[in-house]
Amino acid sequence: MAEQAQGAVPLSAVIADAATGVALALRGEGDPYAVSRILRQGDAASLAALRVLGADALAPYALDHRVCPGGDDEMVVRQALTAYPPGTDASEVSVWSYRGLVEASHSYLSGGAEPWPQPPQAAAGWVTADPWPKLAHRVSQLAALALPGLAPGLADDLATRTDDLARGFVRAVRRRDWLQAAGVGRWLSRLPKVPQTLGLDAGLAFVRQMSDGEPRVAVHVAAAHRFYGRGW
Amino acid sequence: MTGGRGDPGLLDRMVGNSLGWLDGARPFFRLPPNVTTDADPNLTLKPLGELAELTQVIASLHPCAGIRETAGGLFAFAWGETRDGELFAELVRGEPFATYPVEIYGAFARAGRRNAAVEELLSTTARLRGWRVARDDHTRTLGVLNAERRIGLPQHADFDAVLGHTVLGRLPEPWALDRRAAYGVTHDVFHLTDWGRTPRRLTPDLAGYLRLWLPSWLESWLEEQLWDLAGELLAVSACLPDAPYDSAAWQRLAGAQAADGSVPETGTAPCPDDPAEAFTACYHSTLVTAFAGTLARIAAGPSAEGSGAAATDRRAPSAHPLRCESEAIP
Repeated sequence: MAEQAQGAVPLSAVIADAATGVALALRGEGDPYAVSRILRQGDAASLAALRVLGADALAPYALDHRVCPGGDDEMVVRQALTAYPPGTDASEVSVWSYRGLVEASHSYLSGGAEPWPQPPQAAAGWVTADPWPKLAHRVSQLAALALPGLAPGLADDLATRTDDLARGFVRAVRRRDWLQAAGVGRWLSRLPKVPQTLGLDAGLAFVRQMSDGEPRVAVHVAAAHRFYGRGW
Repeated sequence: MTGGRGDPGLLDRMVGNSLGWLDGARPFFRLPPNVTTDADPNLTLKPLGELAELTQVIASLHPCAGIRETAGGLFAFAWGETRDGELFAELVRGEPFATYPVEIYGAFARAGRRNAAVEELLSTTARLRGWRVARDDHTRTLGVLNAERRIGLPQHADFDAVLGHTVLGRLPEPWALDRRAAYGVTHDVFHLTDWGRTPRRLTPDLAGYLRLWLPSWLESWLEEQLWDLAGELLAVSACLPDAPYDSAAWQRLAGAQAADGSVPETGTAPCPDDPAEAFTACYHSTLVTAFAGTLARIAAGPSAEGSGAAATDRRAPSAHPLRCESEAIP
């Protein structure tokens, strides 16, 4: 990593701050949410953080549509999409997360004067081909897509591997990989027929407690609870 | 993880190599003269009892005659070390309320190695109200109950009721298992199924729970290189109806087996400079590897095709006309 400019806030801190804002909003706490208030237009770190958080930066808008078309929120998302398109050699996770941000823009920031870009094609062969530990890891990296209405085809495909994802949740908790566990658990909260013996609700609560307030874990757990009623 | 036949060649090599190392380790299994007085039972009676328990399964169930013969020799050696059971009479007189002499004697009694003086003593001690006092470890209580069943003593508690209080019986959140709880689960299964001989005792609920979560436990503890526990989990897998065969897991366990046949309990094999230390570090996991390989071998046999093969009682090898690699050559 290049040295941070004097006084610059590290990207990880920008991501953590933004994630904290999203988690608060999903829990119905804090000030009314506006993505442009925590991730600013024209700020490189903000745009990078928005690209990292992907659809989760817009997750609170799935609760209600308070966005002003053409406003600052729309502008900062457009800037992030323009600044960080997946390259030709981008990983499948990178393409999917970009697609998730585009889909979320279509779904939650509709009504602007300019149309949003079309979601890029994203390969899904890995959903059936990956061994379960790899599948769970990859799915956890795409936890932001576990939002209402996003990636319906991916959700259908993942529903064929619910048991395997549940095994991935077990492995992640045992490894104390709270971020992975929260991400997989969040997807499981969206999927049908999760094994009852997994104890998903208790598991999400456990992960939240053990992660000691890690902001991105908090986002996943809050989203699972807010949108799918899982966890406590 | 797949169902099906597994890899008999690999399994037989692993079992054979394990038994070869155990056979060479007989001096370390020998009981010292002070075994009934001040020797540490965890370093004397426990290894010998485990040798007896697991070699008896192998000697009675493995389809390969050579392996059965080696295992049977080790079992007979263990019985010999107890002086045809006289040792147990001394142990019971010394500690009439201890369970370990009964548990270890049960392994021999099940195979018909019995000692009248021991049984005379147990007919009194195991009938006391004090004998029925709950043990603080429910899994251990299952072991005592299994020993009572083997010896023909009255059951001091209801097996199913005790099982309901164990880790397995509670069907805990699978992510909440720590190492100790995982060992509890494996031993709950071993006691319930009489060490893999009667897998039909696993109810559909328990079997379904284990089938779902064993892959994640196996992966976790293979990653931690806890070969001993991984071996036990593979043995439990082999007790399931239509037992799944996890080829990758077996390959990883095979990779942990040293050239001399020993399997370290954790990590890599210890330096062989101190044979006693190497024995302590390897004997249990090596025994477990031979045991798990035997159960997996049976589960992978011809009769495993179709449904529920592992759900029936396992019989002597004559009912399993399996071909062994070493025996296929005229």
